[in-house]
Amino acid sequence: MPNVPPPDGLLKPYDATRDGAWTIREATHLLGRSQFGYTPDELEQAVTGGLNATVDRLIATQPESAEFRQAEEALRKTAFATGEIADLKIWWLYRMWATANPLAEKVALFWHNHFATSNDKVRSIPQMLAQNELIRTHGLGSFKSLLHGMSRDTAMLVWLDGNANRKRHPNENFAREIMELFALGVGNYTEKDIQEAARAFSGWHVREGAFWFNQLQHDESTKTVFGKSGNFDGAAIVDLCLEQPACARFLGMKLLKTFVCPDPSTEQIDAVAARIRAHDYNMSPVMRELFSSQLFFGASCRRNVIKSPLDLVVGSLRSLAATVKWPPVARLLANLGQDVFEPPSVKGWEGGRLWINSSSILLRTNFATELASGDQIATLRTAILDMAAGASDAVATQIEKLLLGGHTDAALHSEIVTHHQRVEGSAEQKLRSILQLVMSLPEFQLQ
Amino acid sequence: MTTTRRDFLQLLGTAGIVSLGAIPPQFLARAAHAAPGIAARDKRVLVLIQLAGGNDGLNTLVPFADPAYEKARPGIGIPKGQVLKLNDSVGLHPGLSGMRELYDEGKLAIVQGVGYPNPDRSHFRSMDIWQSAQPLNETPRDGWLGRALEWQFDRQPALAEALSLGTDKLPLAFVSTRVNVPTLRRLEEFQLVDGQASAANRNLTRAAQRQLADLPAANGSELNFLRRATTTALTSAERLKSLSSSYRTTVSYPGTSLANKLKLIAQMLTADLPARIFVVSLDGFDTHSQQLPGHAALMAELSGAIRAFEQDLVEHKLSDRVLLATYSEFGRRVAENGSLGTDHGAASMLFAVTPSGKSGLYGKYPNLTDLTDGDLKFNVDFRSVYATMLDKWLEIPSAGILGGDFSPIPIV
Repeated sequence: MPNVPPPDGLLKPYDATRDGAWTIREATHLLGRSQFGYTPDELEQAVTGGLNATVDRLIATQPESAEFRQAEEALRKTAFATGEIADLKIWWLYRMWATANPLAEKVALFWHNHFATSNDKVRSIPQMLAQNELIRTHGLGSFKSLLHGMSRDTAMLVWLDGNANRKRHPNENFAREIMELFALGVGNYTEKDIQEAARAFSGWHVREGAFWFNQLQHDESTKTVFGKSGNFDGAAIVDLCLEQPACARFLGMKLLKTFVCPDPSTEQIDAVAARIRAHDYNMSPVMRELFSSQLFFGASCRRNVIKSPLDLVVGSLRSLAATVKWPPVARLLANLGQDVFEPPSVKGWEGGRLWINSSSILLRTNFATELASGDQIATLRTAILDMAAGASDAVATQIEKLLLGGHTDAALHSEIVTHHQRVEGSAEQKLRSILQLVMSLPEFQLQ
Repeated sequence: MTTTRRDFLQLLGTAGIVSLGAIPPQFLARAAHAAPGIAARDKRVLVLIQLAGGNDGLNTLVPFADPAYEKARPGIGIPKGQVLKLNDSVGLHPGLSGMRELYDEGKLAIVQGVGYPNPDRSHFRSMDIWQSAQPLNETPRDGWLGRALEWQFDRQPALAEALSLGTDKLPLAFVSTRVNVPTLRRLEEFQLVDGQASAANRNLTRAAQRQLADLPAANGSELNFLRRATTTALTSAERLKSLSSSYRTTVSYPGTSLANKLKLIAQMLTADLPARIFVVSLDGFDTHSQQLPGHAALMAELSGAIRAFEQDLVEHKLSDRVLLATYSEFGRRVAENGSLGTDHGAASMLFAVTPSGKSGLYGKYPNLTDLTDGDLKFNVDFRSVYATMLDKWLEIPSAGILGGDFSPIPIV
């Protein structure tokens, strides 16, 4: 790896060795943002292992269990055999829930949202899966390779009308979105840039499920994009986009919004953009620095990201569930507004407060009810049921640690204890009642 | 007072009205206050249908007599003989027979050449402009209806009621920093499940949920937002429970998604719930390729749903109270593309079903040979349409909300 000086300013490393600087609160802040929830074991390891060891574990590729590899393969083959996107969704949801590499799954979702492509138009399991694998190959690697790969990805070409982009009739769809949504953001290009770039991508087609350079339909004349002229092809346009100063800023803004703080400042965006450039768009050191930074652990970045449906649902299942019934889980996620492989538009999911409306609150509340009290969605881990033994105070404390990451004040703790005392029935029924209550709290929707 | 109304008020009485923060959660909850002393005009309702993706105005209101139309649309033009002619120069897409009937009955106003200066051809940016009514603001934080609801709330909170129906997220038009507008997809989806806990435990848990969601939190924080939204949702679910059984109609609605949404609105209006502004969305108008069949299906869905909704309103003697309008983020380019479709354009047209007997064509049909970058030029600013809805229909002064004076169009 090239010698890159360490980050300074906002992204200086957070000193977790100071007294009180690494508690369950910091550990769950990190795990909540970098994984879909966490198991009781992962929480324990993070608290005792410290910041650096936890980030190392997240970034390095961990071996997957034999059970995971078998199940993953079986689910993938099922999706291929049935040709049903519903089966491919279950394949991915299972991965998010069971993987030993939770950051890789979270980053894969980040890119799926960034390059939001829907099977609703693509209508091909192999193509949707190939795009997902492209994302996995480069997700924590080079964004340059990822952007180049996406411009030739067959699902993307179908999604944004590649075959309709022909010499005499340029179709602007991909050229527009690479500038607006994939690399630069609104305000960093002109309509003319889009029209010229569309000509450079003309003839980038799909044939028999593979990328095909259709020379007859490629416009060989001179194009002028961002003030530079030449007989550009699509790859040259991708490179021109990557050279734009707006590109690293755009990417930095999206990383901050997703992983760090919903409303990043210009200063914060500039700081991350500088690191993206310093690492030449290599994502893994950028993610490591973000998750280790003073910015990330700063007070203004805590408990202010509203959980996405996947964070809420898969996260809760990762913490609590022994076995999962995936079809109802997949339907619930679609109803909550986050249906993987079928994002609502090329803009992806905007997230934040837009996840929340009256319907979604009721669905989130109903999910808490089903998971805590029933068996229609999942069964609970023995380790969770074992928490039922003990006095109200001890039971409440354990559940609050796991589900609220220690972010409970005395008043809320006392309400939960009181609820445990009030409800009737066996120790397990009492435990399930407070699980239901805690999971339906507004506080539980935050990370 | 109808039975429904009485049941509803009783339900309110037992549920109690929860309040917190600056604005009480109130979705559909204000019938108790709204019942006495609200003049009929204050119960006026606005229904907006968003045609998402950019509706092709040229193939919706077809300038069949203009040779430039045939020339620009050799592959996807609507043949003269199929157009539902309104006069010697323009007519409706053949799928719009229901709209044609409304036009003949004096109920359909068509506004031509609607747009805004320096049109943006990005779906998202242009939709943001339509929804925020702030063309110069790159990152709008609120919508025109959200601002209107705030104005209304400060004066007569009982009337600051609105609902987004069948959309995955709250449309930007409704976004406001102070007033929560709920989103509802299906009535049956909007209820709390019982789960397997005992009834006694369930009741205790629900009481605790309500109590803990109703705690104060720092203004503007995500926690405060979530608590407000949770309280609104829990209250609304209780109140909506009794609604579904009270509505009857002899109108047969088409089995489309849009028709279902409009039917649900009719159901709520029949039950005399106080929501005044409804937004629903019909998607699929981004017709880049093979446009004809898909667009025809959308035209039929739009027309069939609106026609049935209007008949239902007439049957329930509600049609005087409802103004319905469509809007879309842009029209399509005049010349068809090489894929028998159309690319993103600029100015377009919109429909308004008006209770005022003001059928007709408003604005001018844009000139098909005087284009900007291949797109039609607008002659009616979309904010004039909004000014009409605000000033002339909802009686909310538009200038502050739209950031300037826009002359209303005499469609109501």
